[in-house]
Amino acid sequence: MKLDVTTLGTFYRMAREGAGLAAGRLTRMTGVETQVGITKLNFMRGREIRHDFEDGSEKVGVRVELSGGLEGHSVIVFDRKSALRIVEMLIAESDVDSFDEMSRSAATEVGQVMNSGFIDGWADVLETAIDVSTPSFIEGQTADPFFGDIDATPDDDDLALLFQSQIEAVGTEIGFSHYLFPERESMATLLERLRTNDGIEYDKLDGFDRMAEQGAEEVAKTATTLTGIETSVEIRRLNFVSLEAIPESVADERLVGVAFEFDGTPSGYLLFLFDEDSAHEIVDAMVPMEIETEGEGFGEMGESAIKELGNIMASGFLDGWANVLDTTIDHSPPEFIHDIGPAAVDPVIIQLGETQEFAFVFDTNVVADGREFDCDIYAIPDETDLERALNDLEIDKIDETPTTATFEDVENA
Amino acid sequence: MKTYGTEPGIPEPVQVGISELVVSEGDDTLKSYGLGSCLAVALYDPETDIGGLAHVMLPDGDAADNSDIKPGKYADTAIRALLRRMVERGASYTAVEAKIAGGSDMFQFESFGEGVGQRNTEAAKAELEKLGVPLIAEDVGGKHGRTVEFTPETGKLIVRTADGEHGVTEL
Repeated sequence: MKLDVTTLGTFYRMAREGAGLAAGRLTRMTGVETQVGITKLNFMRGREIRHDFEDGSEKVGVRVELSGGLEGHSVIVFDRKSALRIVEMLIAESDVDSFDEMSRSAATEVGQVMNSGFIDGWADVLETAIDVSTPSFIEGQTADPFFGDIDATPDDDDLALLFQSQIEAVGTEIGFSHYLFPERESMATLLERLRTNDGIEYDKLDGFDRMAEQGAEEVAKTATTLTGIETSVEIRRLNFVSLEAIPESVADERLVGVAFEFDGTPSGYLLFLFDEDSAHEIVDAMVPMEIETEGEGFGEMGESAIKELGNIMASGFLDGWANVLDTTIDHSPPEFIHDIGPAAVDPVIIQLGETQEFAFVFDTNVVADGREFDCDIYAIPDETDLERALNDLEIDKIDETPTTATFEDVENA
Repeated sequence: MKTYGTEPGIPEPVQVGISELVVSEGDDTLKSYGLGSCLAVALYDPETDIGGLAHVMLPDGDAADNSDIKPGKYADTAIRALLRRMVERGASYTAVEAKIAGGSDMFQFESFGEGVGQRNTEAAKAELEKLGVPLIAEDVGGKHGRTVEFTPETGKLIVRTADGEHGVTEL
């Protein structure tokens, strides 16, 4: 199975189109104004999908099986409260707090209308017919009842292509997610049909992602060594998104970041973003004395501590890539930023936007148990470079290449 | 019980995302948040209260393939599309005025050349000049992000920054 960027772009448009239709139908059905949130193509491992899904909240889902032009499962997932509110609107009853037969069937109907919105959108873009099974209604807190019995959902270590979209009702708390798990075979056929150039061997992407996973682990270890704060990788995924979606997925609040450009095969940009509390915690942990800060800033020493941490994390992260790709990747000195989140990201997508429309984003979240440490890592390689690097990658090498934990930098720091 | 639907009285600002443009009139508020090197271009006709906001990402649409599908992505095509849609809605071309904000250059990366933000600002100014639309106010450049809100009725472009130093500016 081979991927090429043009085809992934088509898939992306298909997901957007589907989300738009689904949102429109929800509005027509309930009278609530809706808007489409972020749409992503995720390459995620089974473990990550489950982890991401299981945020402790009760959920309700409506699932259908697809056949014909696209095979797989399409699942609309609401949090339970959102589903109950929608049901209240539909059956004009107040305070619905559990699902009886009537509310269950109302919820299923909404889910079904949404599912068919998505599916009609895909069928349009793919110019094919997709058949849909009767919907089933699911309640639960874990991923299991929703995805557990689907063959197409990946095992813990398998990388799956997953389509995710969000729709929100304007001015309300109602929001929900949509997942599409395509069958691998069906996906391969589609990819083959749509592919316009040689593209990337899927197994290479999978292999590279496994390495990137180790790179992320390295970053967490480095952070622990430098700050004494016990950190771990919370969530990690490889996204394929339109460039515009990248800053839009960053919190619209003041963040602290360290940014790099890297140069080699591949070249691109790397950003570490912390919320303000985490940044303060890091400065406290790394700078032994009380530091004078002006106003709400971090002071010169605070800034340089954060830059230093970023610098070493960047080396760890990129060394991992360079090792498996057997190339060298150099990175620039760190640039410190303390500003509105999206503003820190848009310069990067603007520069990439001169030559590409979409990007693979290696998106990682590192957190600490019981302490404030929340770091979002965005690694955004230049598309052509990444494609070339992956094509040169020897697949056998991935399992042989050891994880590189180089803490010499730390000693020299 | 909480009511859903469009609640009267509290109009939510209309979000103008990256590469989007929105034309409106009256007291509708158009908002773009977290502009770094992106540029917000606001055009309005003070006589008819018709105006629009574009959240521009790149300078040159004439050189790109997809600028007809996504005119809002590029400074030149966004300005032309805003102007055309405003005129279609009843604005008078010769009365239209422009305000811009954004176009910062927060990173000094080698690959960025003279600055990605600066390129956007220059392209917007050149296009406005070409079309004869007067640029009556600007808050561009620097090393900080901006969030903007624009109301066609008043022509006011409110620019907020995250740091205390620059605060809130009204253009």
